[in-house]
Amino acid sequence: MPERSVAHSTFRIERVYDATPEQVFAAFAEPAARRRWFIEGEGWDIESCELDFRQGASEHSTFRFKGGPLIRNDTTYHDIVENERFVFSYTMEVGDNRISASLATVELKPEGAGTRLAYTEQGAHLDGHDNAEQREEGCRQLYEALALELERRRKAA
Amino acid sequence: MTQRSVEHSTIVLERTYDASPTRVFAAWSDSKALLRWGNPGEGWVTGMDRFDFRVGGASSSWFGPKDGDRFVSETHYLDIVPDERIVSASDMTVNGDLRAFVGMLTVEFHAAGHRCRMVMTEQGAFLDGHDMPANHQAGWTKMLDNLGEELASRAAA
Repeated sequence: MPERSVAHSTFRIERVYDATPEQVFAAFAEPAARRRWFIEGEGWDIESCELDFRQGASEHSTFRFKGGPLIRNDTTYHDIVENERFVFSYTMEVGDNRISASLATVELKPEGAGTRLAYTEQGAHLDGHDNAEQREEGCRQLYEALALELERRRKAA
Repeated sequence: MTQRSVEHSTIVLERTYDASPTRVFAAWSDSKALLRWGNPGEGWVTGMDRFDFRVGGASSSWFGPKDGDRFVSETHYLDIVPDERIVSASDMTVNGDLRAFVGMLTVEFHAAGHRCRMVMTEQGAFLDGHDMPANHQAGWTKMLDNLGEELASRAAA
């Protein structure tokens, strides 16, 4: 009988990007772009990926890291304000266990010629399978990957 | 031009009810029971348009003063452990399409002798100043009082 517990946490990451709010928003909204910086990465094997960045819509993706257990991400968008803000909830499962449920807010504000992105995650870490520190570190890495994607697009333009 | 802002807040409320975790969980998972106790305002009208209580399912309810503002809440279920835990994400709109709030709710049901210690955590994103944590603190306090009455009135059933 698994020991049930929930640990709640809130963390916030802020990063300034050398891109307009429209360009940063597009990196989330365009499936091909998001797949590149958000889903793909060295060691990650994507088994399925259904993206649908619309208010009220849901997304599902499954993947493995270096041949490990199947990881699943289910996301629902609750609020999207074009080029300004979106709020979504998502759960993560590893093998048979749901490890977390989270509410995430992304706010985009112009800063000089660039954009300040603020990411706030309010999480429920389930049954001791993961913790806020691991999640925050994972998210920081994602927002670094976004910087690389935006730089790549700027050079290609 | 709407001034965009997001206020993040976490509300934790705890109650011990003279009922088993199974009975308290049932009051959260039955649409008729929810309509009886889940009304945050004194004398408000309320209704449920859809109820699909399962992970991946969604429910839709509305409430408000009889001839006043109409609030609609869309809820998506993220995690359900029968008799133990419910995690859901809801968004609330006012009078049509003004989105005021998105939040994630965790409800834990713990056995405490013959009673149930219930812990409710709402992690909220309050949008553009249309809603505030104090409203939710008051609304949930009232609903959890109602839930106590619901459980007591049905104890003999």
